[in-house]
Amino acid sequence: MVNSNIMYDEVYALVHTMCTKISDDAYGLMKQAAAKEQKPEAKAMLQAMLDNVGKAGELDKPVCQSPGLPTVYIRFGDNADLSDLNALTRFIPQAVVECTKSGYIRPSIVHPLTRHNSGDSSGEGIPNFEYQYRPGLEYLEVIMSAKGCGAELANISKILTPATLGKNYVGLKKLVLETVAKGGGFPCPPSAIGIGIGGQMDISAKLSREAISTRDWRDKHPDPLIAELEEELLTNINVLGIGPAGIGGDTTTLAVKIGFAATHTAICPVTINFHCWVARRFGVQFYKNGERRYLFGEVM
Amino acid sequence: MATHKLTLPVDDSQVEKLRLGDTVYLSGTVYTARDMAHLNIKTMRENNQPLPVELAGRAIFHAGPVVRKVDGEWQMVVVGPTTSIRMEPYAQMVGELGVKLIIGKGGMSSDSQEAFKKYKQAYLQAAPGCAVLLAAGVTGVDGGHWQENGMPEAMWVLEVENFGPFIVTMDSTGESRYAAVLDNAMQKIEEIY
Repeated sequence: MVNSNIMYDEVYALVHTMCTKISDDAYGLMKQAAAKEQKPEAKAMLQAMLDNVGKAGELDKPVCQSPGLPTVYIRFGDNADLSDLNALTRFIPQAVVECTKSGYIRPSIVHPLTRHNSGDSSGEGIPNFEYQYRPGLEYLEVIMSAKGCGAELANISKILTPATLGKNYVGLKKLVLETVAKGGGFPCPPSAIGIGIGGQMDISAKLSREAISTRDWRDKHPDPLIAELEEELLTNINVLGIGPAGIGGDTTTLAVKIGFAATHTAICPVTINFHCWVARRFGVQFYKNGERRYLFGEVM
Repeated sequence: MATHKLTLPVDDSQVEKLRLGDTVYLSGTVYTARDMAHLNIKTMRENNQPLPVELAGRAIFHAGPVVRKVDGEWQMVVVGPTTSIRMEPYAQMVGELGVKLIIGKGGMSSDSQEAFKKYKQAYLQAAPGCAVLLAAGVTGVDGGHWQENGMPEAMWVLEVENFGPFIVTMDSTGESRYAAVLDNAMQKIEEIY
């Protein structure tokens, strides 16, 4: 498997960019939020966040000290080369270790029980690879996402039933709002929220992370029912007044993204998954002719 | 809203002047401590062992920095707050130790509010995810304790100057901004659905 046209240096560049920048969509939404915010304390907080992103780029430093947990989404079609998949699978962990040794990633990966820290961001199942075969896809796509783990503290999974889902899904809507309220400042708001609905518990959890890590935070879901639900939830969450850092303000959440799958007639599994404002995720689409298209911003 | 420039250690009367919404900048020595450092302190106290640092009058920073060793010396890369609620089980212990200021993000809960009243402490909210800006206030890293816990969980001794800004979000009267924000949000939810 040495014939891949994917080079280690470009994979390293992807990981390095993910450490030192935030995605263009999140940055744009943060700028809009800072302009609109009415509460002076909250406005100052948003401005500090934007300044911090600028400084990180300028000084070539990690944008946040907390590297979160890296997940890699690899999507490929019928004409994908196994050698390319092999290259990504080998190069990404190598680049994560190198970025750790160079001070771009704080070594924060530990054994779940003993809490032993490997010291270089390596460990069983790290990074988490999600390989997704998409028939007909003409390129090989990789999205690297490092989601902060303070955000995880507010997450929940719940198995609703037709009764608790309620009329007009009011049970689900209330659950989302209450989870945001109780989460307060834990997930580093302004947050973005991925909601996985359907399947069984494992599916809803995977969908929730995929929705918030791989979709553009400004996009519109192609299914009108889901698009409407995303919009309603976003609007109502931002009425709650949690604000940046959870200290009160107009800007609580930048985006709500829902992933769904069909489920069994008895249940409606739901996972609510918070993303911090520090949206460290970037991607590349590799085309057969050697062309690269970058996702979420330029990869340097 | 007042701005306070404090040099550590601080005493009760200085903490009692801090009110919700005030801005604070710190100079002096600040100790980072997360889950594992709190657990180490608890275990050492249970075994009647002396702690490696004096925490009375000091500030604990819920944080795990990125540091690098260059020519045998530790250098700060970036540092920012971690989610403080994980340290809520140690509220009483931290009060007994005489810690006066806790820096973190997301706030703490009712046990901390009780402890803050009893032991005269305050909570300072740092801007979350602003690790590059905050690192500018760190002038030195005087090594760390419990490095076997790994970089984030070790206790780092930071020399700081005009470190901040921090916002007082829980004070020594037991007031909490987070509790007020939560009450307001829960009321709004009742109105919406």
